[in-house]
Amino acid sequence: MKNHSRLLKILRKTETGEIMEDKVFDKLVTATVKELVKKYDIKYNKEDAINMDDDLADRIFEAALELNTRVGMYCISTHRRMEFTREEILDALKWAPDHVVYGAGLDQCTVRSREPESTIPVINVGSPYGTPINEEYYSKIMESYAQEPEIDTIYGGTFNEVYGVKPKTHSPWEILMTWREIELTYTAIQRANRPGLAIGTGANSVSEVGSLTTTSFGGFRQTDWHQTCFISELKTDYANLMRMTHEVKSGLIIHDFYNPIYGGLAGGSEGLALIATAGVMMLPVVYLSTTHSMAPAHPFFNSNTAPEIVWSISAAQQALTRNTHILTTVMTSPSGGPLTECLLYECAAIATMASVSGASRIDGVRSAVGVEVNHCTGLESKFNAECANAALGMSRKQANEIIKQCEERYVEFLGKQPIGKPFQEVYDLTLMEPIKEWQDMYLKVKDEVRKMGMPF
Amino acid sequence: MDKLFDNLMSFVQEGEIEASITEAKRAVEEDGIDAVEYLQSVLAPVMNNLGDQFSRMEIFLPDLMVAAEAADGIRDELMQYIEVASDAQKGKVVIGTISGDNHDIGKKMVATLLGVNGYEILDLGTDVDPMAFVNAVKRDKVDVVAMSSLLSTSMPFVSETIQYLVAMGLRDQVKVVVGGGPVNPEWAEEIGADGYGHDAKQAVDLLDRLLA
Repeated sequence: MKNHSRLLKILRKTETGEIMEDKVFDKLVTATVKELVKKYDIKYNKEDAINMDDDLADRIFEAALELNTRVGMYCISTHRRMEFTREEILDALKWAPDHVVYGAGLDQCTVRSREPESTIPVINVGSPYGTPINEEYYSKIMESYAQEPEIDTIYGGTFNEVYGVKPKTHSPWEILMTWREIELTYTAIQRANRPGLAIGTGANSVSEVGSLTTTSFGGFRQTDWHQTCFISELKTDYANLMRMTHEVKSGLIIHDFYNPIYGGLAGGSEGLALIATAGVMMLPVVYLSTTHSMAPAHPFFNSNTAPEIVWSISAAQQALTRNTHILTTVMTSPSGGPLTECLLYECAAIATMASVSGASRIDGVRSAVGVEVNHCTGLESKFNAECANAALGMSRKQANEIIKQCEERYVEFLGKQPIGKPFQEVYDLTLMEPIKEWQDMYLKVKDEVRKMGMPF
Repeated sequence: MDKLFDNLMSFVQEGEIEASITEAKRAVEEDGIDAVEYLQSVLAPVMNNLGDQFSRMEIFLPDLMVAAEAADGIRDELMQYIEVASDAQKGKVVIGTISGDNHDIGKKMVATLLGVNGYEILDLGTDVDPMAFVNAVKRDKVDVVAMSSLLSTSMPFVSETIQYLVAMGLRDQVKVVVGGGPVNPEWAEEIGADGYGHDAKQAVDLLDRLLA
């Protein structure tokens, strides 16, 4: 990969940058974001669900570029600030991939660069993202995603317990769990008759050790995609850089993410839009990666569907997709769980927003904010993908009206933990179908969203 | 007191840390307000009010960080006027995100709001080894161990920390509280913690109750 040739330049920055305490770096982030929000006149209009102002999106991009050149990134392991020039960042973005092929054989799909209101198809990822799953249901749950034709690639869940042991990061157990993830996920794609389907790895490798071992002999494939991340806000560490270095040396597809916190160091919606843009802009620069995700979180709800966050993601996505060709991703991270209408309306809002804002890939669904055991099913991911696909080519103005109506249906539930029911209670495990109650609820909400103007 | 409240609130909201400290000193020296009374009847209500605003997301972490800095400065400044030990500090808290987890911002929100509400904070940062919490109990004589885990794969280390405290005979010396996305009250009870906080405001309420 052409963009992988800068590896040493990046690693050297972690050893040569200015030594700084992390709290000093945090203050630098806070002060600079505050100044730039004012300088670039970044304003959140609560009347709109998503951004529809191209000029504002472009100003956010410029502000993010300035933020990155003035603040840089912080390496926690070496306590150093990694600095980047504007030219360096723009050059790295120039060489970042504008497309990538996932998967093998008949199950291949291509992630392509998009821009706001684009008709280019999005790639839909089906996954229980972060949700703890019991070993006995793991393969069935993954099959529930893989069997849906709308889903182009899948990403694993996290074990709640495996070999009778609770998962424990950076331990031999993590290695065992990540290998078990391979076994059970491959079983799922075989059962779904999609053997070449790309898999995102390794959901059970929170530290680097699981990833390093399972992307070696007999583990995950080069046609899969492999994950690393930034730490909020604008930080990295050796663990993530080790993972990235291994992935570069192994010629793997690198997917990464940055999940800033609403109300955190960057403040409210305006600062969040700015720092989300800045962080995702730096992912391909620092990690030499191919696809780049953002899923800002609410500090109390843990979800990303609160209106003030939906707007921020839309503005950040548009800033990036109007001004670069990088392959951006948005993850749906709702408060609602299976067998709740709340979950489906949240999916419709995020998937529609992401699709019309130019995201290349839409991930989900991290149902019930990914913390309730087995509270995840393929059906919500199917619906998430259906909304993303239906919104292709839609104007932001039309999407804005649909999303506002969806928000009216779910906002009141956000702080009430509407977790719904676990997989084994809402799916027939023999037929691998949603039970009638869950299927009927899906059809009802789909019909409601259709009436809002969604062209299913 | 209303005017003093308004004055201090105004400076803190404007991010004027030095002016906040000067205002507190002025109130004591020129208005003759007792320093302890100022801490209890002006500073504490201002910080409570800001905490409430934060819990409604009307203000954000940067605003809280300024408030915490101002509160620390005011407490330090007014100590010269206080002859006997007072309850200016509610207790000493060691806080951190547990091993294998680098989520920082939520923990920082909790630490900052606790600081704003009069707790002395020893923030160990993220990816904190269980033994570091144990050492803080031994060396720093903390009243509370507060552990955050945003990852289910790090939760075992929270449990281990409590097991270490028990094994070393330190458990009775401290309160242990836990929080984080996958953590819930049932699990907190199961591992032998003294309490669970869903967010920063709940953490303050919890510690106020536990140390009352």
